[in-house]
Amino acid sequence: MPSPNSPLTGPLPLSKEKLRNIIALLSAYALCLYGLETLIPSPIPWLRLGLANIITLITISLYGFRAAMMVTLIRIFVGSIFRGTFLGPAFILSLGGGVFSTIVMGITWRFLGCFGPVGISLIGSYAHNLAQLFLAYILFIRRIEAVALIAPIILLLGTVTGTFNGMVCGILLRDLKSLGSSISFQGKAP
Amino acid sequence: MLNKIRRSIRFVFIIPTLIFFLTATSCSRQGDKIYKDTRILMATAVSITVVSPTEQKAKEAIDAGFNEIKRIDDLLNLFSDKSDISLINSNAGLRPVKVSKDTIEVIEDAIEISRLTGGAFDPTVGPVKVLWNFDSKVIPPGAEIKKALPLVGYKNIEVKKDSNEVFLKKKGMMIDLGAIAKGFAADKAVQVIKAMGIKAGIVAASGDIRAFGLRPDGKLWHIGIRNPRGGRKDALATLYLSNGAISTSGDYEQFFILNGRRYCHIFDPKTGYSPTDTISASVIAPDGYKTDSLATGLFVLGHKKGIRLLEKLGLDGMIIGSDHKIYLTKTLRGKIEIKGDNQFNNGG
Amino acid sequence: MRLREIINLTTAADRVLLFFLIIATSFSFSFVRHVFPKGTEVEVKVDGRIAYRLPIDVDRIVSVKGPLGVTHIEIKNNKVRAIDAPCENKLCVRQGWIDRGSIICVPNRVIVSVTGGNSKKDGLDAITE
Repeated sequence: MPSPNSPLTGPLPLSKEKLRNIIALLSAYALCLYGLETLIPSPIPWLRLGLANIITLITISLYGFRAAMMVTLIRIFVGSIFRGTFLGPAFILSLGGGVFSTIVMGITWRFLGCFGPVGISLIGSYAHNLAQLFLAYILFIRRIEAVALIAPIILLLGTVTGTFNGMVCGILLRDLKSLGSSISFQGKAP
Repeated sequence: MLNKIRRSIRFVFIIPTLIFFLTATSCSRQGDKIYKDTRILMATAVSITVVSPTEQKAKEAIDAGFNEIKRIDDLLNLFSDKSDISLINSNAGLRPVKVSKDTIEVIEDAIEISRLTGGAFDPTVGPVKVLWNFDSKVIPPGAEIKKALPLVGYKNIEVKKDSNEVFLKKKGMMIDLGAIAKGFAADKAVQVIKAMGIKAGIVAASGDIRAFGLRPDGKLWHIGIRNPRGGRKDALATLYLSNGAISTSGDYEQFFILNGRRYCHIFDPKTGYSPTDTISASVIAPDGYKTDSLATGLFVLGHKKGIRLLEKLGLDGMIIGSDHKIYLTKTLRGKIEIKGDNQFNNGG
Repeated sequence: MRLREIINLTTAADRVLLFFLIIATSFSFSFVRHVFPKGTEVEVKVDGRIAYRLPIDVDRIVSVKGPLGVTHIEIKNNKVRAIDAPCENKLCVRQGWIDRGSIICVPNRVIVSVTGGNSKKDGLDAITE
């Protein structure tokens, strides 16, 4: 469980109906961010900033691991259908990275209470990139030399985006908390 | 809130800046870099490597080096009618031929090495060589080889230094500098490159490597000796070299195997056949012409006489005998690193 | 002290992790620079055979024919990239510009690698053969 000084809170008690609405809303947010980041050029085509990770992390801390996995899967499936990469190589990489990082973040959040949003986000973004790199290696590259070459870029990207995402999460979560437990998302949900 | 964001942005920017500084300081580079080019010259791949602060300078030096090798090749090429060597050969037994200073120099060098090796290296082995055709894989009749042998003999080369003239005393004699020209050309190219202000580099004309100076990282040049029964880039042994040359002659360059005997492109000037008790011979010496020709001579001499000769001359070398044993000069032991996974044994 | 508030959002473990990652990132950059120095030559191999060996500092476009068709390769500003390839996934094209290491198109059996200088695997400057 998160330590008391961590801004992360446990899952909120919600009805199934409400949780479903919230997942839909959060998935929409994640898709927005996902769409936004496809506009930003990246040094390696299938490596992205992982802005959608912000939503995943918030979902984990507010609504639990299962909801976060749901949001991630919806984001990846719908996103890839929109982009036309569904079931293609980019989709496989995206799915592998997203699922693995959600699992790792879930485990970190549940069992390693010493980490705050920044730490979990860093771990998540690394998990995301490493899973993608591993899949890319297995599927296409097959050359350890090429992997070694892009490793620093991945480390740098992971560090920068992980920190940034984590801080956005931290600020968001703290402000949401100060607004009172769960009103923010619920109030605006359709 | 705005203020908060502003401050958080500032914090976010600290990290990339930190990383930038850390990486920038950890890889502060020296000005000197290695530049390399490979061209086909002297019927082989010739590479020139130079250490230079600027690309422009490196390019000029490399071009000058290649031009020098081309110039030397034009003088010594056996297959061009206009070369000094062709003129000497076509006037064998007839008249002395006036040639360039460089040709005189390399012929004198060749005679010097012939003397040192007791005729094991001989630039006049041509008449025997032309009898062998490695494409058709046919052994010439013994009578023909016997007939050609009297035409072989470096003592029948007459060099008149004051008039720059060379004369082959017997008609039908041939000078073939194939076993010294590449090393000589590498020496000349290094002189030209050095004269252009380059402090370090390597000229490698296939098997003949002439290095000078140090690598940009301050280390010696790391040179490999090819595994004679391996691939082209497969090094059997490695050593470090600063100012000096290394050459290897092996039975793998041109050969055919008939009735279980290997016939290669290096011939014993005394018998007219290729020697059978050597697989490869490598020599390390200050100059390329020496290593090139001595490697051939040592190949003919075999490991016993060969190593003894090198030790007498104060040079280093390695000979692999057909017994698959590696023989080293005493002074080379400890300086050379032999890779563990090979089919050759230490022969002492 | 709003900055302090932001920092307060992070736990001690976060900070330790971030510090460690920054160190790891900077080390990885110098490590790669050390292991794969910038090359001076572009080597284009098709099906294991060297089709071209070109200086990396001369801008040009070359085309090589592999089993699937023609791959176009561009050398510009000391970098090299695949412009177009007949393969399906076009990963070689997506890899973009490189100045060290290699671009590999497995379907069309094309390998473009930046070599030369001291980037040889075995660290040898020359081999006598």
